[in-house]
Amino acid sequence: MSIKILTVDDSRTIRLIVGRAFKTYDCEVMEAANGVEGLAVASREKPDVIILDVTMPVMDGTEMLSRLKSTADLKSIPVIMLTAEAGRENVLRIARMGVRDYLVKPFKEDQIVERVSRIVELKNRGGTTAKSKKRFDDPLKIVLADDKTAIWDQFKAGLSDTPWQIDGFAQAQSALENIGSHVPDLIFVSTSLPDGAGFWLFQKLRSSVKTEKLPIFALSVKTAVDDQARAQQVGFTGIVTKPIDFADLKMKITRVLGLDASYKYYEQKSGALVVNYPSNYTQSIANDMAAHLQEKVTEAVDAGLDKLVVDLTQLKSVDMPLIEQVLNVMKYAGELSLKSGVIGSDEVRQACTNFEETKEWLLAGSLDDIMKLM
Amino acid sequence: MIKDMEDMIKSAANEVFATMLNMSVTFEHPDIQMQDSQTHVAGAVGFTGKFNGVIYLYSNLEFARKMTCCLLGLTDDQIEGNEMINDVVGELTNMHAGHLKSRLSDRGQSCVITIPAVVSGRDFRIEPVSGAERYAVCVRANKNCVLLEMLVKPE
Repeated sequence: MSIKILTVDDSRTIRLIVGRAFKTYDCEVMEAANGVEGLAVASREKPDVIILDVTMPVMDGTEMLSRLKSTADLKSIPVIMLTAEAGRENVLRIARMGVRDYLVKPFKEDQIVERVSRIVELKNRGGTTAKSKKRFDDPLKIVLADDKTAIWDQFKAGLSDTPWQIDGFAQAQSALENIGSHVPDLIFVSTSLPDGAGFWLFQKLRSSVKTEKLPIFALSVKTAVDDQARAQQVGFTGIVTKPIDFADLKMKITRVLGLDASYKYYEQKSGALVVNYPSNYTQSIANDMAAHLQEKVTEAVDAGLDKLVVDLTQLKSVDMPLIEQVLNVMKYAGELSLKSGVIGSDEVRQACTNFEETKEWLLAGSLDDIMKLM
Repeated sequence: MIKDMEDMIKSAANEVFATMLNMSVTFEHPDIQMQDSQTHVAGAVGFTGKFNGVIYLYSNLEFARKMTCCLLGLTDDQIEGNEMINDVVGELTNMHAGHLKSRLSDRGQSCVITIPAVVSGRDFRIEPVSGAERYAVCVRANKNCVLLEMLVKPE
């Protein structure tokens, strides 16, 4: 039986994004534009999950939630709140309202799928479940259509720390034939293939049932802005510019395929949940780490751990956005009664003492040392 | 004046454009002139509470259409009238406002934000009333740009 999901949002854009996110799953997505409509649909359809916006005209999400919770046959429906506001006060206020989960805008489609899949078992229309998603270190087949073989070599070198198979093709036609017989996980198409062949290949792939939903990235020289605009217009999944930033590329692949990369950042070790900040830490990585925080802390508490260690040993310096991110991690851990500590190099620990916000932090140079302090 | 307001606006733009539109952005001097001969779309969201102001996201119609295609996974000919474009511009403005509200709330300037409003047309400009503080950032994504402008009532 199909899972029923009700999205209540005054923004048609958000309703469309939610609908699209679940298009490949065996779900029926129903829509309502405000709390009044939402209550009516909920009463009639009894959805399995409600995705509810906070700020709406007529009746806002808070009031709709309180009415749901006071209605006997609706109060057990799990609600995921969508909010544009990530501030601590707002998040705590939402948590106190008795919602199952919340998601802060802006969000990626795979984030909303992941949150819903924690509550109900989503099945692909083909039958596999959303929870059986691939890990970052699982094998992938990637097709690269580019007539410059040096780019194939760059891809192979830049992704050499993954088990991903890169198959390069110099001509659009040969790429199309290969894709037709062995559908890959992901495709990159150069926009500078002769005679617009890259765009031709894209249209061919999009018009085939086998590949109409496959992620296809455009590869373009950074300065070829007209090609990029055209790629954006025709609907490529994303654009990767040359010279290629492979750290960013891995992040894009992780996001678009919904790969689980959380094991790179969260690890249960020596009786603590260790949160690893990688040396190439960026805002994108911060977003990915934040997306898994609740799940990983909850798992740690379930496993009986009572300590969380923030590992900054791979970093050479700290700045305010990083401090804020770490504070958020510690705050969430604190709400579940986990003690927190931070490990880092001498320089990082010294830098941490320069901020007002970090004065209370327990700091040490190694995991063993911080465990003794905690 | 709020000394890091422009940095907060840039941080919001970086996050919203990267997450929702898969676009990396750069920032330019905000005094870039929007050409009056083009149709423009402006989204507005207000802040009220310990912090009072309005944020505007100001784009020409051509780029607003591109953002709509990008956000909703559509081709240009699949856009159904201006309502869809207005909704996208309103939602993107709302996301910038939400990001800023969170930062402001975390520093004790708690406020609520209004639902978005969208204005479109030609040859109009947004000007602050006297006494309002103005912070503006020009956000460039490839050859397109939007203007993010925050008008704040001084404390």
